[in-house]
Amino acid sequence: MDVFFDTFFNFQFMADHFQYVLDGFWVTIKLSLVGGICALVWGLILAVLRQLPGRALAPVRAVVIGYIDVFRGIPLLLVILLLSSGLATMATQGAIPREIGIPEWFGESDPFWYGVMALTLTYGAYMAEVYRAGIEAVPQGQTEAARSLGMSHGQAMRFVIIPQAVRKVIPPLLNDYIALMKDTALVSVIGLVEAVQAGRDLYSEFYVPSGYTLGAIFFLIVTIPLARVVDWQIKKQQEKFQRGMP
Amino acid sequence: MSDEVTTLKREVARGETIMTVSNLKKSYGSLEVLRDIDLDIKKGEVICVLGPSGSGKSTMLRCLNLLELPTGGTIALKGETVFDGGKPKNLDDLRRETGMVFQSFNLFPNMSAKQNVSIAQVRVRGRKKDEADKRSVDQLCKVGLDEKVDEYPDRLSGGQQQRVAIARALAMDPEIMLFDEVTSALDPELVKGVLDVMRELADSGMTMICVTHEIGFAREVADRVIFMDGGYIVEQGPPDDVLGNPKEERTQKFLGLVLEH
Repeated sequence: MDVFFDTFFNFQFMADHFQYVLDGFWVTIKLSLVGGICALVWGLILAVLRQLPGRALAPVRAVVIGYIDVFRGIPLLLVILLLSSGLATMATQGAIPREIGIPEWFGESDPFWYGVMALTLTYGAYMAEVYRAGIEAVPQGQTEAARSLGMSHGQAMRFVIIPQAVRKVIPPLLNDYIALMKDTALVSVIGLVEAVQAGRDLYSEFYVPSGYTLGAIFFLIVTIPLARVVDWQIKKQQEKFQRGMP
Repeated sequence: MSDEVTTLKREVARGETIMTVSNLKKSYGSLEVLRDIDLDIKKGEVICVLGPSGSGKSTMLRCLNLLELPTGGTIALKGETVFDGGKPKNLDDLRRETGMVFQSFNLFPNMSAKQNVSIAQVRVRGRKKDEADKRSVDQLCKVGLDEKVDEYPDRLSGGQQQRVAIARALAMDPEIMLFDEVTSALDPELVKGVLDVMRELADSGMTMICVTHEIGFAREVADRVIFMDGGYIVEQGPPDDVLGNPKEERTQKFLGLVLEH
C-alpha cells in the first residue's frame, strides 16, 4: 500500500514540484481560454455561413460543409502536427512571412499559437454543428415574423435567431469547451510544456508519477465546477419549458 | 361610434386601388394550392377571407408579402410591380409596407413587449431608439397594454401577446395589414380583446385583409367577404350578400357547417 501512495499520491513530491506543474497548468488555462474563445467565434461564423440563403450562395454552403466534414473527421493530433510542421516549413522556405509561419505573438511561444490554431480549426467545426442545431431549433415563425417586418436575412439572424439559438446551446457548448480544455494536452507533442508535459518532465527526471496526479487534480478543480454549471444551465432551460412538472 | 360614420369614412377612402393581384398561382411540386387569384384591394378596405382548411387562404395571404414566393402571376403595390414571376427585387421594401400578424403570435421571446415593437423600427425604418421606444409605448397603449410595456412574452396571455404582435406590425406604419387567423390559437375569452383592436383599426381607415373563422366579425366589420375553396376565389362581395345570401353551393355548404354549431 505504501508503494501505491508513493507512486500516485506522493504528497511530499507534489509539494516539492507544485510550482512546476502549476506553471504548466497555467499554460493549459491560457491555451484553453484563447483557443476556446477563437473556436466559439469561428464556429459561430461557420454556422452562419452554412445558413446563408439562396441559390447564389450554394458554393459558400458547400465549402463550409466540406470544411466541417474534414475537420471533424481527422484527429486533432494530426492537425497540430500538420499545422506546426507545415507553417514552419513554409516560413523557412520564404513562402509566408516568418511572423505568421513561426508565430510568437504576445510573448507566447510558437507551439502555443499552433495549438490555438489547431484547436480553433477542429473545435470550430464541432461547435459549428452545435450552433446549427440551436439555429434549427428556433421556430420558423421567428424568422417569418422578423422578415415580415422587413428585416433582411442578416438582420433576422443577428437580432432574432442567433440570440435565441445561442441561449439554447450553452450547455452543449460548455461540454465541448470541457473537451477542448482536456485536448490542450495534445499540444505537448510539439513541445509546449502544459500540465501533462510538466508531469512527464518530472517523471523522466525522478521516476515518480505523482506529478501526473497533481496535473489531474488541477484539471478536476476546473472541469468539475464547469460540469455543474452545465447541469445548472440544463435545469434552468428545462424549468422554462416544463412548467409544473416536478 | 355609429355605423353610419364608419361606413361614410370607408366610402370616402374607397376608390384608390392600393394593391393589385393578378393570376396569382402557387404550387408545391404537383400540389396546386393557389390556382388563379385576381384581387384588387382598395385603400381603407377591410376584406375578410373565409374558406375551409386547405382552401389556400393562408397561402394567399402569405404570398401577398412574399413570405411564400408565388409560382406565377403578378403583384403590384401602389402601382409598382413588386412581383412578376421572377426573383423579387425589393422584397424587404414590400414587407416593410405590409404588416403581418400570425396565428401563433411569433413574438421574439428574448425581448420585452416594447423591444418587440421597437426593434424593426430602429433596424428597418432607421428611427432613433428613443423615438422608436416612444412610438412603441404609444402603440402598446392603443392596444390596451399600457401596463405590460416591459413584460416579456412568456409573462403575457395569448391575447396580450397577439395585441403586442399587432402593435409591432402597426409601428412600422404599413400600408396594408395582413391577419392570418389571429384568434384561432386563443382561449375563447381572449378573442374579444383582439377583435376589438382589429375593429378599431378598421374604423381608423387601415387597409386590412383578414383570414378568419370569425363569421360574426366578418359580417360586422368587413367591406368585402371572399370565400375561397380549392385554390380559387369562389365568391366575393359585401358581407350581407356572401354571408346572408350566398349564390354558390360551396359557400352555402361551408356556411351551413360553420353556423350550425
